[in-house]
Amino acid sequence: MLEVSATSGTKRLRIGWLDVVILAVVASFLAFVAYRVGNVLHYKWRWDRILSYVLRWDPKRGEWVTNLLAQGFFTTMRLTIWGMLCATVIGIVMGICRLSPALLPRFIARIYVELVRNIPPLVFVFIVYFFVSGQIVSLLGLDQFVASASPAVLDAIGFLFDQPKLFTNFITGLICLSLFEGAYVTEIVRAGIESIETGQWQAAQSLGLTRWQTLRLVVLPQAVARILPALAGQLISLIKTSSIVSLIAIQELTFMAGEVAVSTSSVFEVWIVVAGMYFVICFVCAQLFSRLERNLAVARAS
Amino acid sequence: MPDSASAPAVLAFPAGRDSRQRLLADLGQIALLLAGVSWLVLRGARSMHYDWQWYRVPDYFVRVADGEIVWGPLAKGMLVTLEISALGLVLTVVIGLITALLRLSQSFAGRVLATGYLGLIRNTPLLVQLYVFYFVLGPTLGIGRFWTGVLCLAFFEGSYAAEIIRGGIQSVAKGQWEASQSLGLSRYAGFRCVILPQAMRIMLPPLTGQSVSLIKDSSIVSVIAIFDLTSEGRNVISDTFMSFEIWFTVAALYLTLTLSLSTAASGLERWLRRDA
Repeated sequence: MLEVSATSGTKRLRIGWLDVVILAVVASFLAFVAYRVGNVLHYKWRWDRILSYVLRWDPKRGEWVTNLLAQGFFTTMRLTIWGMLCATVIGIVMGICRLSPALLPRFIARIYVELVRNIPPLVFVFIVYFFVSGQIVSLLGLDQFVASASPAVLDAIGFLFDQPKLFTNFITGLICLSLFEGAYVTEIVRAGIESIETGQWQAAQSLGLTRWQTLRLVVLPQAVARILPALAGQLISLIKTSSIVSLIAIQELTFMAGEVAVSTSSVFEVWIVVAGMYFVICFVCAQLFSRLERNLAVARAS
Repeated sequence: MPDSASAPAVLAFPAGRDSRQRLLADLGQIALLLAGVSWLVLRGARSMHYDWQWYRVPDYFVRVADGEIVWGPLAKGMLVTLEISALGLVLTVVIGLITALLRLSQSFAGRVLATGYLGLIRNTPLLVQLYVFYFVLGPTLGIGRFWTGVLCLAFFEGSYAAEIIRGGIQSVAKGQWEASQSLGLSRYAGFRCVILPQAMRIMLPPLTGQSVSLIKDSSIVSVIAIFDLTSEGRNVISDTFMSFEIWFTVAALYLTLTLSLSTAASGLERWLRRDA
């Protein structure tokens, strides 16, 4: 079965003994699952009910409206996009600090990266949540801000972030995710800056540019082009990581799924549908990014 | 010249000042920073009337009652975390090896199965996988809570291990296969005696890194009420309200585990490279 590696190349569709074994194993597994679900657990599938939690026909308004799962999905996407923006800002600042000639910024950035990357995401989210919800949100005065905001501002908040009454909730989740993801972006930015040849620094220096000017005008523009693929990968990873904040009651897709599963008791359908939703968005993003990257490589080569 | 390439490019700019004076200034800045941070934490805690009770923390590890040693919840939780990670690691390597071999095999069904598995696991969040395992597969296959958690972690990390192992096997030069074939070794013997030992050298450091991830990710099983370190920590907090102390302790315990393993991994990498 390892012949492919020895005699490289021709993978033709030919049914060998291994195919038969694998198909038999998979088929018997599926049959066993079907038997258990139908005859032992006596599970009643109600797909239509769960799908109506994604999109629902509203007879009063005569149109399709998004229901809990779709709303959760959009919150997940908004969390991801805002989180990626914040994480990129954190990552660029910390990435530059990571390579600073002064010890203090290097120290801060190193501690930040090592702490975040070596603590379980779950524990990190709980700790940040404990500090953020207790201290920072009240310090920023978000509650008063939402309470005193005009309807136009509330509409903008509803469109950009989440329903106004969940705004502080959303921001809490956003801070957790940005701080978490920022550490990974920091390392990407650092690798990007380090990948720029020393000659670029020396050339800039000999042109009389200061360190900061070199970084801003010469090194970062080149580094950004190199780190874009890694950042795109990090975006997909952020979509997946964002499910963690459901545990601190941020109302995104996983949280909503839990609610729907409890209230309908159609547990199987809910989790299969939600896993499918995550799969589709991550898979589509991955395909899109790899195509973009290929096009970019082709454009650069020509 | 490898030296100039590996030196951080930014340091190419001259420091400009006397280096010893500079070091003192840096250390002073760091000391100021640490003092500032601890002042902020203490002030924040005081403003919420937080009562520091660090002296109670050791009791949650181990205490002596009636001349007998009683292990506390944190120690037990740590043990469960280690147990899950160890079992998970064994299964991860098994799943990873099988998947890697299937991906490299000539069998069409095998390649489809392996690619499908990798695609599914890579594109869904671990938490959702855990819920699917716990709520859907667990009752369907009749697996208990503990093994559901271990299996879910193993399938998740196994998808990463599979790619590491595949990379390791493919990095062995094709000539090695041809040589072992021409020596009359069977494919299995060639794989076991010639290819695998060489692939091991490339695979081991990233696999150790993967086991660090496994320890970190194992904290997620606390959401299905397996009493690991995270779970026990949360229980102690809800009993005692010592949020700061317990969270810092739990985080420090995880840090100790992961950092010592990462250090071992980089040591291993250096040792293997020197040997090669």
